[in-house]
Amino acid sequence: MEFPYIFWWVFAWMIFWSVTGSIAARRSYMRRDLDTTNASFVGAMLGASTGPFGLVPLCMKTPNITTRMMVVPALASVGVLMIAFGFADPGNFCVSNGSFVASQIVNGLIIGIIYGFMALGLTLIFSILGVVSFAHGEFYMIGGMITYFLTSVWLPGINPIIAIALACLAAFVLGAVFERMFLTPMYEGKIDRPVEYGILVTFGLAFTLQYFVQATAGANPLKASRYFDFPRIRLPSSADPWLIKTSRGNMELFDTVSISNPRFTAAVMCIIVFGLLMLFLHRTWTGKALRAVSQDREAAAIAGINPDRMNMLAFALGGMIAALAGALLVQAFSWLPQVGAIPAMRSFVILVLGGLGSIPGAFVGGVIVGLFEAAGTGCLPDAQKAASYIPAYGMIILTLTLLLRPTGLFGRRFASGAHGQF
Amino acid sequence: MTRSRIPQAAGLALVLIFAVFPFVYARADYPFIMHILITGFFYAILASSWSMLAGYAGQFSFGHLGFMGIGAYTAALFSHYFYLSPVPTNICTEYPFGDLYLIIVNPIGVTSSTLSQDCLREALTIWNGSVQITPMPVWLGIILGTVMGGVFGLLIGLLVLPLRAAYLALFTLGFSEILRAAISAEIEITRGQAGIELPYLFDSGITLFGRHFDKTDKLPPYFVMLFLLLLCLAIMTWLAKSKFGMFVRALREDQDAAAALGVNTTRYKVLVFVVTSMMAAAAGAVMAHYIRIITPNNLMILQMSLVVAMAVIGGVENVIAAAIGAIVIEFALELLRNSFEIGPFTLDMTVWRFVVFGVLLMLALRFARNGLIAPLIEYFTRGHVAKETVAIRTATPEGTEGPS
Repeated sequence: MEFPYIFWWVFAWMIFWSVTGSIAARRSYMRRDLDTTNASFVGAMLGASTGPFGLVPLCMKTPNITTRMMVVPALASVGVLMIAFGFADPGNFCVSNGSFVASQIVNGLIIGIIYGFMALGLTLIFSILGVVSFAHGEFYMIGGMITYFLTSVWLPGINPIIAIALACLAAFVLGAVFERMFLTPMYEGKIDRPVEYGILVTFGLAFTLQYFVQATAGANPLKASRYFDFPRIRLPSSADPWLIKTSRGNMELFDTVSISNPRFTAAVMCIIVFGLLMLFLHRTWTGKALRAVSQDREAAAIAGINPDRMNMLAFALGGMIAALAGALLVQAFSWLPQVGAIPAMRSFVILVLGGLGSIPGAFVGGVIVGLFEAAGTGCLPDAQKAASYIPAYGMIILTLTLLLRPTGLFGRRFASGAHGQF
Repeated sequence: MTRSRIPQAAGLALVLIFAVFPFVYARADYPFIMHILITGFFYAILASSWSMLAGYAGQFSFGHLGFMGIGAYTAALFSHYFYLSPVPTNICTEYPFGDLYLIIVNPIGVTSSTLSQDCLREALTIWNGSVQITPMPVWLGIILGTVMGGVFGLLIGLLVLPLRAAYLALFTLGFSEILRAAISAEIEITRGQAGIELPYLFDSGITLFGRHFDKTDKLPPYFVMLFLLLLCLAIMTWLAKSKFGMFVRALREDQDAAAALGVNTTRYKVLVFVVTSMMAAAAGAVMAHYIRIITPNNLMILQMSLVVAMAVIGGVENVIAAAIGAIVIEFALELLRNSFEIGPFTLDMTVWRFVVFGVLLMLALRFARNGLIAPLIEYFTRGHVAKETVAIRTATPEGTEGPS
């Protein structure tokens, strides 16, 4: 960084005023006996973006908090931070090189879609069972492992789609069996702390699966070969392909943004499956029953839906979605038994950021996390440090969300069941 | 002796056995067994303090190893960067301290070249052995680490006040991961993945009862760790029996009801975080001085799952059961290392033992909710009470309690 002090002073100023703002806004709303759920968030964001100039009127007038009052200051504080960074480090690629920024954004979007898809599984589980599955990353790992072994070791030459489907099926069955064997006592009221039980028992599953795979498949990194090749396209002409240029493993847009094939296919398939899942959830009886259970368990039971069945289905489906994400990404990343930890963390972040059991929240949250990580890895001046901090970016979002707005982006304020509490 | 006295007698006997064991045991694998025991005590402190936090207070935190890491890294950084010297180096940051100088070594991180050594090493080459510098006392580092753990426990305790259940678990997990990422990223200061080295617990050896122990001897760290474990257990049993324990359990059962009855939930929730994280930090600091290296991988989530599993298998609502569970499991894990063959297959037990262990964890959670050791203690101490409760339960008609 050329002028680090600019950035750090702005940063310190923002932190100071956001902390002050979150406390002061909450206090002043509390004193007037108003709704304080979003007061600390608005206070923090307004403090970060405008300093005392926005805070004082907020605390004096305590207006009703609208969505716009939350979105605008939040975006403004991100903007202020970006501008400060731009002034502090004018030589950085993130500031000076437009094509670098564009490719970072596109890569962030693509990886964000995949994360969001994976978090969708966790959201499904959480909204219906009220449990955060700590084994989500292991389902992801299993999906990738099975697909790798099917396509590369056991049945080389198999159509990758079939291999992916088989991996999904295996994860589905595993999820269903696990749910029947270990999660059923949660619903029967036999356990006084069901949520904690669910967390610990899925934690145990994660531990077991991880070492089971390490014992059977070994700890060497594996990587599946590319599933599909891009067709060769050059537009508008093969001599001057400024719009799009593809080779078998790579795609280049506008001469600047390069997207690798595995990520692109993964993202596209995620979007397709997401669409199918939406159809399933909104058009079929079972899907509607799932959503009904997530909204109100007792009412759904009265309407003739067996909530226990839906629990099993939700857990199995959630595991399957994670496995699908893994099966799609095993061609992009090298695969280890421990590979599930980082995507699992990201899913937790997205789950919290998107809001309790909110499906659009999962997708938007995924994209935000993807972009944030792309910005973090691309823009931090010290590349090695930036790479080491990768696991932390998401967790910073998570802690901030939990502190300022525990309902997340699209969270319902009064959710039913065990997840009504924070 | 009545039956309810048996656990106390057994506990006393166990402590005596642990106290006498290093003097009696004389087989060839003595250092190995001692090492397992020290590690077992270390995990026992972590597991029992976690069970205090999770089982007693109902705060299922996944950041416990983060606190351990704070203790260990504070001790490590303290011994790594602070020295006392009678002569100023004039290169380092230094402050007069009595008639000595407190030297703060500049962080240089891991470098392969010998040219960019830190300022103190340069000064030492200039002095060429004429000046004797003193490293900071180990115990001061351990105390600092413990205090640091308490400070962070206070901070985290304050931050997680409004969070419950899954959110608390995710938040503490986030804290631990951020800490780990920060430690592995700030290579200049913490030396990243390479880990930071620490001096021996007793760097110049120690003489106890007329017998001199070398710095590599396992006996002094064994007793330090055992003493720390007993101290922690004593504090926690005392706390659990006192009003604090009662309030904290009320907090676990129903926070709102406890608050309505006048329990200062904020204070006790924060306090339990502070106490348990101080214990974890102290254990981490001592352990780091014993194994003499600490790396960010010691804070990994898998290590946390080990601690959780130990506490759960031992009995998460009983600190002593959790401690015993940890020692037993540490032993079992080490003894299960031997690979064996079934027909054509060779089972590599170094990995398979964890699979067995994970299955055991799930089964213990599913079928033995109070763990495997806690019910044993309960059976002796509260056998008569249990019988009465069962009688009352069978007397109540079925179905009066709806599913919650």
